[in-house]
Amino acid sequence: MKNRLKVLRAENDWSQAELADRIGVARQTIVALEAGKYAPSLPLAFKLSKLFSKPVEEIFDPESAD
Amino acid sequence: MNSNPTTTAARRYKIQLTIAMAAYVVILFAATWVLNRYALQGSLRYAVALLPLLPIAFLIPVVARYFRESDELERRIVTESFAIGAAVTALLSVTYGFLEISGLPHLSAWWTWGAVMGTSAIARIALNRRYE
Repeated sequence: MKNRLKVLRAENDWSQAELADRIGVARQTIVALEAGKYAPSLPLAFKLSKLFSKPVEEIFDPESAD
Repeated sequence: MNSNPTTTAARRYKIQLTIAMAAYVVILFAATWVLNRYALQGSLRYAVALLPLLPIAFLIPVVARYFRESDELERRIVTESFAIGAAVTALLSVTYGFLEISGLPHLSAWWTWGAVMGTSAIARIALNRRYE
């Protein structure tokens, strides 16, 4: 699923590992999310939404869902 | 940062796994020694032979907890790899079953365990690559 995670992460100057720690996942999950190869669970999507203070649909592109 | 719950879960799992495996090795050697030293008969002999399974049984809730607490993508990869491993093992065991009927020697049930773990591990490597 396409998303703006990489851009949002860069805006906050966080490494993938830092973002992973902030939302309680493995760094591999951030890599897969940013590559658009993994669609997160609903709880994880909301954690990202809260962290970046943006609605889920502004982070993830629903049109690109598998 | 040490607060990542997946890291905490992994650390706890590694500690419990190490303890269980150490106990397994100790009990295995002890049970083997007892079986070689004393001519036990019947159910007592079977009970001693099964003793090394105690730490393995302890591992089941440990693995279940680690699985529930681990990272969600990791959980998906592990689930998918074991599903593939189970399917491939089913095919392999039925295939060999037919070959046995055709005359090949009987294989020990140990091979099923090896096949599940081996094929799941291969599937896991492939799935890890898919999500990179």
